[in-house]
Amino acid sequence: MTELFSNLALGFGVAFTPVNLLLCLIGALVGTLVGVLPGIGTIATVAMLLPITFGLPPVGALIMLAGIYYGAQYGGSTTSILVNIPGEATSVVTTLDGFQMAKQGRAGPALAIAAIGSFFAGCVATVLIAVLGAPLTKLALAFGPAEYFSLMVLGLIFAVVLAKGSVLKAIAMIVFGLLLSMVGSDIETGASRMAFNIPELADGLGFATVAMGVFGFAEIIRNLDHGAEMDRNLVQQKITGLMPTKKDLKDSFPAILRGTALGSILGILPGGGAVIASFAAYTLEKKIAKDPSRFGRGAIEGVAAPESANNAAAQTSFIPLLTLGIPPNAVMALMVGAMTIHGIVPGPQVMQKQPELVWGMIASMWIGNLMLIIINLPLVGIWVRLLRVPYRLMFPSIVIFCAIGIYSINNAPVDVVLAGAFGLLGYWLIKHDFEPAPLLLGMVLGPLMEENLRRALLISRGDWSVFLTRPLSAVLMGIAAFLLVLAVMPSLRKKRDEVFVESES
Amino acid sequence: MSDTPSHVPVKFKMPKWVRGPQDFVGGLALMAIAAFALWASSDLQGMHGFSFGAGTAPRMFGVLLLGLGAAVALMGLLTDGEHITIYAWRGPLFVSLAIISFAITIRPLGLVISAFASFIISALGTPETKWKETIIVGICLTIGCSLLFPYALGLPLQLFPRFLVQ
Repeated sequence: MTELFSNLALGFGVAFTPVNLLLCLIGALVGTLVGVLPGIGTIATVAMLLPITFGLPPVGALIMLAGIYYGAQYGGSTTSILVNIPGEATSVVTTLDGFQMAKQGRAGPALAIAAIGSFFAGCVATVLIAVLGAPLTKLALAFGPAEYFSLMVLGLIFAVVLAKGSVLKAIAMIVFGLLLSMVGSDIETGASRMAFNIPELADGLGFATVAMGVFGFAEIIRNLDHGAEMDRNLVQQKITGLMPTKKDLKDSFPAILRGTALGSILGILPGGGAVIASFAAYTLEKKIAKDPSRFGRGAIEGVAAPESANNAAAQTSFIPLLTLGIPPNAVMALMVGAMTIHGIVPGPQVMQKQPELVWGMIASMWIGNLMLIIINLPLVGIWVRLLRVPYRLMFPSIVIFCAIGIYSINNAPVDVVLAGAFGLLGYWLIKHDFEPAPLLLGMVLGPLMEENLRRALLISRGDWSVFLTRPLSAVLMGIAAFLLVLAVMPSLRKKRDEVFVESES
Repeated sequence: MSDTPSHVPVKFKMPKWVRGPQDFVGGLALMAIAAFALWASSDLQGMHGFSFGAGTAPRMFGVLLLGLGAAVALMGLLTDGEHITIYAWRGPLFVSLAIISFAITIRPLGLVISAFASFIISALGTPETKWKETIIVGICLTIGCSLLFPYALGLPLQLFPRFLVQ
């Protein structure tokens, strides 16, 4: 207990200097401003802003980065809600209900609840890291390749259960995503796979490229469809209330709690923890809701839970990052890059060797969260006003921002063309009622899944039963199977059909 | 994402025995994608002993997608489902053209020309466009982007055509 307080005190002592607070504030502000441009997601924002921290001392740089990260992430959630473009895999789920809320004129409450939920989750997760950091590291170490693989299967099954339409089509989308993730160099042999000798494909398809394609460009193209004007006018005309009502707060508070709990637990598990957390939190809310058909049509819990979960998970995922050196998502991978530049190599020694950096960073994550809520609650009104821009002017601007954003990640024109191609693919998927969210999740988890599958089978000498004979793995597989059965069960079917019929009439 | 507007009356004609054309065609297309992936990864090494080769996983998922595509298509044959709504050509065409034009011109012509050109091309994607307004906004946006990305964010983006700078 004393260790806990001394650790936190050390961290806040490092972070709470006027200069560092100012750096954090600037970081959060700039991060939000850039992240909120539609089409420039979290990854692109952090990548763009990374260089401005290079000249600072290590602690200051990390604190500013924390501000940028939270600002960018919140900016990403903002575009998810306002224009249905998720900046990162973790905010894909936010689009489902967030954008629907915006359509109903409730963009303000959605944005506010996202900020409040994130802040609450951030507070809890900061304390959790301090309390549980060391003991939980041991649990993460109990995870072998077989367990990792089963965990990811579970995550993907979550995505299936969560999908709105047919289970079969959702599974097909996941497998399609897994297949897309295979493009590029093979991890073990380095053989080029399905890259057709295009040098830009040798590293694989970028997540940002595919995400901006199937969500950003596809959404624009679909909105230009004949007859979609009605839909858009809905977004633009009705804007009721910027702040959440008492009822909204009451509805979303339990969801924030559950999201935080789930996110904190899943974040500790390395490998896509934050991604799975937001999906899982959404699924949980949908399952325990009295009226699940509200989800996907603007339920505030559907914004509150995943936003809290992904923030909690992003925070607790520092445990595997600092102890095992595994970044849980693309943005964290960038953060690792930044840490390395400042001479900090994440791994088992860093907690002992440079405690003031580690705890300073954890404390600054919390401060970043605080800055965010200070900056953004007053700004909600401004973001919402973005919706009033007529679509005929909005969409060419989004096209340009997306194009510049994608180009700036690798300075590769080919990436822009690829994103365009994925935009057309995404349009086709929408036309055939396939959902792009499971596809993206499959793509993100694909490389890790393949790696762990290969390792697990290598260790078991080709014996596939290893996934069922190792207890932890068997439990995870069992939950996955159970969820799948639940999803195809007739009772659930009926609810799905209900949604289907209404949208037809 | 799937809330396609309900008041679109135009539909593709399909033979009578296809009861859910949307799924039927979707499933067939997935099978085609899977077949393409299987062909593309056919030159990769497969299993050796009990360890995976480079091509094992792509082939595994390829076969899986082939099966799932067939299942989706079969569902489209056997159960009543949605019709295919007609594809618009104007939006996809001009947005794609704008993206391609940006990709081609950003290196040789710089941000100013390529961003403005793409803005105008993508604005062609809808009949609602009012040209005076679009050109003014396009100019403002181009100026904004030229200040924001290279100066404020310090990205290595070239602003003007290469031959003018040199």
